[in-house]
Amino acid sequence: MRGLVALLGPTKVLGAHDDLLLYEYDGAVDTATPDAVVLPESTADVAALARFCHEHAVPIVPRGAGTGLSGGAIPVEGGVVVSFARMARILEIDVSSLRAVVQPGVINLHLSTAVAPHGLYFVPDPSSQKACTLGGNVAENSGGPHTLAYGVTTNHVTGIEIVLSDGTVVRLGGKAVEDEGYDLVGSSVGSEGTLGLVTEITVKLTPLPEDKRTLMAAFPTMDEASETVSAIIAAGVVPSAIEMMDQLATQAVEASVHAGYPLDAGGILLVEVDGARDGLEDARARIEEICRAHAASEVRVATSALERERLWAGRKGAFAAMGRLSPDYYVQDGVIPRTRLPDILRLVKDAGMRHGLQVANVFHAGDGNLHPLILFDSRRGPDELERAKAAGLEILTACVEAGGSITGEHGVGMEKNCFMPLQFQSSDLAAMRRLKDAFDPPGLMNPGKIFPTPSRCREFAFASTAR
Amino acid sequence: MPGIRLRVDRPVTATVVRSIPADAAECARVLADATADRRTVRITGSGTKSYIGDISATDIELATERIAGVIDHVPADLTVTVGGGARIADVAATLARAGQFLPLDPPHADEATVGGVIAANSNGFWRARYGGVRDLLIGTRTALADGTVARAGGLVVKNVAGYDLDKLLVGSFGTLGVIVEATLKVLPLPETTDGLIARFASPGDAFAAADTVVRAAARVEACVVQRLAEGAWQLAVQARGGGPTVERALRDARREITARHGDATALGDDLGRMRELPARSIDGALVRVSLPLAASVAFAENAVRIDSFAALVVDAASGIARVHLVNDDDDAVIRDAEALVLAARMVGGAGRIERRAEHLRSRLPTWPTRPNGDFLMRRIKDAFDPAGILEPGRSAFA
Repeated sequence: MRGLVALLGPTKVLGAHDDLLLYEYDGAVDTATPDAVVLPESTADVAALARFCHEHAVPIVPRGAGTGLSGGAIPVEGGVVVSFARMARILEIDVSSLRAVVQPGVINLHLSTAVAPHGLYFVPDPSSQKACTLGGNVAENSGGPHTLAYGVTTNHVTGIEIVLSDGTVVRLGGKAVEDEGYDLVGSSVGSEGTLGLVTEITVKLTPLPEDKRTLMAAFPTMDEASETVSAIIAAGVVPSAIEMMDQLATQAVEASVHAGYPLDAGGILLVEVDGARDGLEDARARIEEICRAHAASEVRVATSALERERLWAGRKGAFAAMGRLSPDYYVQDGVIPRTRLPDILRLVKDAGMRHGLQVANVFHAGDGNLHPLILFDSRRGPDELERAKAAGLEILTACVEAGGSITGEHGVGMEKNCFMPLQFQSSDLAAMRRLKDAFDPPGLMNPGKIFPTPSRCREFAFASTAR
Repeated sequence: MPGIRLRVDRPVTATVVRSIPADAAECARVLADATADRRTVRITGSGTKSYIGDISATDIELATERIAGVIDHVPADLTVTVGGGARIADVAATLARAGQFLPLDPPHADEATVGGVIAANSNGFWRARYGGVRDLLIGTRTALADGTVARAGGLVVKNVAGYDLDKLLVGSFGTLGVIVEATLKVLPLPETTDGLIARFASPGDAFAAADTVVRAAARVEACVVQRLAEGAWQLAVQARGGGPTVERALRDARREITARHGDATALGDDLGRMRELPARSIDGALVRVSLPLAASVAFAENAVRIDSFAALVVDAASGIARVHLVNDDDDAVIRDAEALVLAARMVGGAGRIERRAEHLRSRLPTWPTRPNGDFLMRRIKDAFDPAGILEPGRSAFA
C-alpha cells in the first residue's frame, strides 16, 4: 500500500476497507476483496503500476464498469484492482478513416452518442451499454443484440495499446485494417485482461443505417418461435437482430417496463432489419410471412421511433426486470447451432425443474446465444446458489454436446474456467497457454481466469464432450 | 520507427521429401518427427502463393491435398466445416447446390485452398461487405510442431471461450502449424448482382466518389479504384442482394460519380482482373499495403508518380492497396518498392513486398520493416515451434 501511494500519489490509490468492499463484486455471483485499488490517469501510471507489481509479484486485475457477467474483474487471487474510471476520454474521432481512438474507460453508449452527429456509430451494443466500458468490451469481446449482421467487438477493433506485466507499453495495429505479422490485436480481444492492460483502443465506426423495421411476433410456444428463427435465416434474410423471450421473461418485463408484449404468448421474437430504405419493406414482408406461417398469433410492426424504442426497452431491461420474479439470478451464456434451439430450450427448462428452480429465457436467438436466467433466492440458504450452478452446468454441457460453446459473449472468467475442459482438450488449452506465456510470463495478469486452476477446479473432472 | 532489416541467407538443402499426410493425426506425426530431427517444413496447398516470403528450400514439403473435402455443411446454421486442403472452388460448388456461398473472393480463387487462404490472410474485395478471413473464420483444428492437434473456436458463430487462436492463424503463413480443419460462416446466395465502372480525370474525384459509395445507405460488395500506367483513374462498384437494394446502391453511386465528372458504364470482368493483379505481376515487384482510409488518396497519388509505376489497385472500402512496379533498372524497382512500404508505415499503415521477379528475390526482402509487437510474435513463434522447423523465411518479425 505505502509503496503504491509513494509511486502514484494518494489520490490514485484506495486502501481503506470500506473503499475496497466496493470493488469486490461485478455483475456475476462471485466476490473477492482486492488488497488495493488503483485509479490510473494515464498510460504512464499503468506502466508504473505494472512495473511495481512485477517487482513485488502482485497480481493485477483490470476493471471497467463492473458489469461483467463471469467474474472477470474479481481479484480471486488477491492483488491490485485497476479501475479505468479516470481514463475515460475519447481521444480522436477520425471521420474520414471511420475510426475513433478511445481510452478504455469510455462508456460504450457515449462513443456512439459522440459520433452520431457524423452519421456514425459503434456497432457492439451489449445490454449494459449505458454503463459498460469499451475496455471491458475489448476484454470480453462483447456482443449484444445487433451483432448478428455486423459482428462482435473483435470485428470492430483495429488497434490497441497494451501494457504488459513487466510494464512494457506496446502499440498493436492502428487505424489500418491489418498489420503485418500475427494478428495480436485479434488475439488480445476477448483475452479477459489476462494478457495485459489495454490503455488505448482504436475502433471502427460504421455509418448509421438509413432506416429500420422492428417487428414483435408472438407464438403459442417456444418451439414455434425457434423454428421461425431458422426459417428466417434460411430464407436469405439476415436481420440485424433476432431476440427471443419466453413467457416467464415476458411477464417480468411487462411488469416493469410495459413494452407491450402479449402476456399469453409462449414465446416472443423481436426482429429488426436495417439498411437502405428500399429493401426494408420487402424484408419486413418476408419476415412477417414466415412468422405467420409458423403460427404467430400476433405480428406487430413498430410504426414510429417511439414504438421501436418501447419494444427494445423491454428487451434491454429484461435482466433488470428479473427482480420482479426472484431476488437473485444466475445467468448462463452458452451457444448452440441455431438449428438446435427447440430441443436445447426444452432441456434448459428440464434442468431447472430437476433442481427445483425456475428458468427465464431472454436471448440472442439469431446467433444461437442462450441466456437462461436461473432464478434463486440466496436468503433461503447457500444451497440455492449451488443448485443454480448445478443447473447451469447441465445446460452448458448440453450446449457443448450440441456442438456449441460454454460462452458466447460473457466470457469464461472465474465462473466457468473449471468448465473449459468440457469444450477443450488439454492440447487445446496448452496451445492457449502458449499465448498467455508469451504475453505474461510471470502470470500476474488477472490470474485464476479462463484456465482451470487446480485449487478451485478439483471437484470438476471432465473429459471433453465437444464434437 | 522500425528499422530496415538485414537479410540472412540460409544454405539450400539438397533433398526435399514430399509428405502427403492422409489426415490430421498423420500430419501431426510428420511435424513431431520433423521437430525431433530438426528438419524444416514448407506447407503447400495448391502452391498459388509460393511467391510470398523469403523462402528457401526446406527438408520437407508437406502437402495438404489429401486433407480436403467438405466435412460438414448445415445450411440452416450458415456454417461450413472443411479440410484445410479443400479448394475454395470446390467448397463454393458444394455450397451453391444448397443456394449458399462462401463470401470470400481471394486472388487465385480457382486454385487456392481454404488453409492457404487463412494462412496467407488472402482477401479480395468482398471484404467491403462481408468482412475478411478473420471475420468469417469461426473455428480451426491445427496440427502443431509438437505433434498435437489443437482446436480453437468451434462450430458456432458466437464464441468467446478461451483465446481466439483462430485470429493468430490468419496471416501466420504456416509458421505456427498446419491448419487441418476450418469452420467458416457462409451466406445465402443473393438474388441480384449488378455493377458499374467509371472513369475520372483526377484521383481526388475517383477517391471522393469511392468514399461516398463506401458510406452509402445501400452497402456495396466491392468498391475498387484502379489506375494503370496508361489511362484514366477508374472506380469499379459491385452490389449484390435484393433487387431494390442493388438498384438503389447503383443509382446512388451513379449520382456521386456524375457529380464528380466521372462517366459510368456497365461492369465487365474488371473486378476479376483487378483481383488477379498478384497472379499477373511476375516481373518487377508488387507492393501490398494496408492504409488508414484517409491516407489512401495521397498514397495513390504518390505511387503513380514513381518512375517504375505500372499499375495500382486500391480496395477503397478496406484501405488495402497493391502497386505493381516495373523497371529495366533493378535498383529503381528495389528503391521504389521499399519506399512505398515505408510510406505506408509513415502514415500509420503497414506493408510488404508481396511478389518480386525471381532474380530480385535475394535483393528485395518481403518485409522491409518490422511490425509493432515483433518481440511478442517471436515469443509466440518460439512457444509453438521451438525448433523453428515451420516455414522459415515467412515471418514478418524474424
